[in-house]
Amino acid sequence: MPERSTLGSPAAQGAPGAGAVRALVVVYAVFALAAGARATVQLSTRFDEAPVAYLLSAFAAAVYVVATVGLARGGGRGRRTALVAITVELVGVLAIGTLSLIDPAAFPDETVWSAFGRGYYFVPLVLPVLGLLLLSRRPAAQNPPKSPPPKSPPPKSPPPNSPPPE
Amino acid sequence: MTPVLVGVGSAVAVVVMLFGFGTTLAGRRFGLLHAVAVGLIEAVLLVQTAVVLVGLSRGHDLADAPTFWGYLAGVLLIPVLAGLWAWTEPTRWAGTQVALGALAVAVMEWRLLQLWEGTGA
Repeated sequence: MPERSTLGSPAAQGAPGAGAVRALVVVYAVFALAAGARATVQLSTRFDEAPVAYLLSAFAAAVYVVATVGLARGGGRGRRTALVAITVELVGVLAIGTLSLIDPAAFPDETVWSAFGRGYYFVPLVLPVLGLLLLSRRPAAQNPPKSPPPKSPPPKSPPPNSPPPE
Repeated sequence: MTPVLVGVGSAVAVVVMLFGFGTTLAGRRFGLLHAVAVGLIEAVLLVQTAVVLVGLSRGHDLADAPTFWGYLAGVLLIPVLAGLWAWTEPTRWAGTQVALGALAVAVMEWRLLQLWEGTGA
């Protein structure tokens, strides 16, 4: 249980990028909730109006749920699950975004991915890119990331064999 | 449900968001102030829910009731879930998690107002 000091105790270092990925979980959960609620309302109240668009809404919601769970669980399996889901998400938002602009009649009611997520301030377009960047930044804590974390990297190793200047 | 109430709600959420991002920059984990911040948002949202229920009992009509209830439930849930998630976060990203939840609330408040007033599809 974390200490209950007023501003929070100094943060643990943790694996680089892991905390940022868990922060992304919040955004994914919000979109899972938003897309899920939207699809539920659309499918249950007016399915006949645009079945394809509403089924796509439901599909988007499912993708967000899988990505959220994968990111939240973490570990090798969770990350792989998230990676697949986020890739599908990126393809989906690009495909649906393009289609909805080419053929607006097919999407009379907006889905989360219509017009590249315009109705959601384009977050659906930025989110998968950010997710893939964050996931690729932390290859199983093997190699240190290119840009070192803001604090000192875990064990301060002595300077590598710098030749003595004598 | 009024623009003033929504304004207060989203203003509180924006302040909490800035505070959350600030504690990430400062390298702190979840603390008492985070809990207070989440509680503050939730308090405003509960007042708002009460105002909604009173309004409905006085005969206010909702153009799209299912969507409205979806947003109302979502906006009530998000700060709690984000807060609990941040509470278990051992790194400085706890503040960002609170902040992102607060940002979602700030945005959703205005959509909720549109749905209440029946303007905007």
